[in-house]
Amino acid sequence: MDAKTETVADNKSATDTAKPILEVDGVTLQYKTKEHLITATYRVSFDVHRADRFVLLGPSGCGKSTLLKGIAGYMKPVEGAIRLKGREISDPGPDRVMVFQEFDQLLPWKTVKQNITFALQNGGKTSSAAEANDIAMEYIQKVKLSGFEDTFPHMLSGGMKQRVAIARGMAMEPDVLLMDEPFAALDALTRLQMQKELLQLWEDTHFTVLFVTHSIEEALIVGSRILVLSPHPGQVKAELNAHTLNHENVGSKVFARVQQRIHDMLFADRILEDEILGEELDK
Amino acid sequence: MSTNVTKRDAELPDLVIRREFEVSDLEQAQTGEVAIKLSWMERIWNVDAVRKLVILLSLVAVWQVYTVGFDVEPLMLPSFSDSFVTLYNALFHGDLIYKIWFSIKVLIVGYSAGLFLAAVLILWATASRFGSDFIAMATAMFNPLPAIALLPLAMLWFGLGTASLVFVLIHSVLWAVALSTHSGFEGVSQTLRMIGRNYGLHGFGYVWKILVPAALPSILAGMKIGWAFAWRTLIGAELVFGASSGSGGLGWYIFESSQNIETDGVFAGLFMVILIGFVVENVVFRNVETRTVIRWGMQR
Repeated sequence: MDAKTETVADNKSATDTAKPILEVDGVTLQYKTKEHLITATYRVSFDVHRADRFVLLGPSGCGKSTLLKGIAGYMKPVEGAIRLKGREISDPGPDRVMVFQEFDQLLPWKTVKQNITFALQNGGKTSSAAEANDIAMEYIQKVKLSGFEDTFPHMLSGGMKQRVAIARGMAMEPDVLLMDEPFAALDALTRLQMQKELLQLWEDTHFTVLFVTHSIEEALIVGSRILVLSPHPGQVKAELNAHTLNHENVGSKVFARVQQRIHDMLFADRILEDEILGEELDK
Repeated sequence: MSTNVTKRDAELPDLVIRREFEVSDLEQAQTGEVAIKLSWMERIWNVDAVRKLVILLSLVAVWQVYTVGFDVEPLMLPSFSDSFVTLYNALFHGDLIYKIWFSIKVLIVGYSAGLFLAAVLILWATASRFGSDFIAMATAMFNPLPAIALLPLAMLWFGLGTASLVFVLIHSVLWAVALSTHSGFEGVSQTLRMIGRNYGLHGFGYVWKILVPAALPSILAGMKIGWAFAWRTLIGAELVFGASSGSGGLGWYIFESSQNIETDGVFAGLFMVILIGFVVENVVFRNVETRTVIRWGMQR
C-alpha cells in the first residue's frame, strides 16, 4: 500500500471531497500550573471524518490529552477553533463522550447497568427508563459483560471496568467517541484483547472515534488514520494512514516500516531536544 | 567452586540452559479437601459480637464482684445489679421513658436543623469561591468551640427552654458536617467530575448526582461526628439547666438523681446515654454504611 507514504500536503487535497464531522482549526491550548503558563498545543489543525478511527499519537508532553479535553469542551482554545458538525464547541456535552484511562471513571455507587442508564437518561438520550434499560443491556452484551449487569464496579477487574466505560460511551451514540489512553493502565494481554474487541465493535457500527495513545504499535493497530504530534508544545508532525494495519500484520514488513518511520519522527525530536539541552548546559 | 575469588573478579553465576518442554494434556487437578470447616468453637469466636459481648460481661462481672465482695458504700458506687434494677423500674414503672423521648425529640430537631443549615452552606460553597472561603473560615473558627461554652449565651438569647438546646445542638452538628462534606467534595476525583459534566449535569443536579454520592464516605463520617457531638452536648446542656416547663430529659434525670443522692439512678441514666449512643452508632449508622458506601466498595 502506497497510501502510507503520502505526505501531509497530499492528504489535504485528497480528503477535501467529504465534509469532516470534527474540525480542529489552528488550535493553541494553554493551561496554568502554580508557576507556569504552559502551551500544550500550538496551532494544531486536523479534520476527523465520519467512521474515522483517528489516533492522536505522540510522546508525553505533546498535548494529546489536552487536545482531547479541548475537543470534549473542558478547555477553551486561546487561538483557533474546534467545530463539531460546523458548530463551535463551547461546553462539555453528551455528543462527545469521553472514555478515560482511569478505572474510577465509573460511578462506584451505580451497578454496571445503572452506569449506562444514568448516562443515557442524564445525557438526554432517552427519558424512558425501560428504553434506557434495553439499550444498556444491548451494549453490555456487545462488550461481553452479560451476567455482570447488576455488579458494582469495585467487583470488576480493570479490563472489565474499561469495557463498561466503552459500553457506556458507545450507548450514547455520540458524534465522536473520545478515548484518552483507555487501555494504558491494563496489562499487556488484556490490552491486546481490548484492542481486538474495540475493532470488532467498530466493524459493527463504524462509529467515529478519536483515540489518544503514546504507543506506536497501538496507534497502528487501532487507528485508521494517525496524527503524529511533536512535544513541547504539541505540533502536527505528520498525518498518516493506517487503515490496512491491524493485529494480523503486526509482524509484517509494512507494519514495521511505518512503525520505524513514526519512531524516527519522534526520535529525531528527542535528539534535537537533547542537543539543545546540552547547549544550554554548556553555557 | 573456586576457593580464591577476589572481589573484583567474583564469579558471576552462569546461565543454566535446560531442556524446553510443553504439556499437551493437563491432568485433572486433584481437589479433595480444599476447604475444611473450622470447629464450632472457632466459628463462634470469630463472630465480632460474641467477642465484644464477652468483654462487656467481664467488665460487668468485675464491677459486681468488687462492689458486693468488698462491701462498697452504695451511695458512692452501687452494684451493677442494683443499678440495673433501678433502670428497669425507672423505665417500666417510672417516667424515664418520657424523659428519654423528650431528649430524643430535641436531639432530632437540633440535628436535622444542623444538617439542613450545613446543606445550605455547602451548596453556597460549591457555587461560589466566596462561599467556599466562608466555610473554610467559619469551620476553622467554630469547630474547636465546645457547644457547651455557648450555653450561657444561648440562655441569654433564647431563655431556659428547648430553643436554647436546639441552638447549641445546631452549633455542634453544623460545623462538623459542613467541614467533612466540604473536604469530601474537594476530594472527588477529577475524572468523576468530568464524567458528570460530560453527561450534561450542572448546578444542583451535578451536586446531587455526582458530588454527594462520591463524597458520601466523608459526609457520613461528618454526620457520625456531628451526632456524637450533639448527643454529648445535649446531655451536658440538660445537666446544666435541664427542666424546662416542667419536663426534662435524660440529662435532667441524671442531675435529679444525683441531687436526691440516688447514685443507682445516676448509673441507670448513664446506662441509657451509653445504650442510645451505641445503638445509633452501631445500628443506625452501620446500617446506612453497609447499604451504601460499603456495598459500593468505597469504604470497608
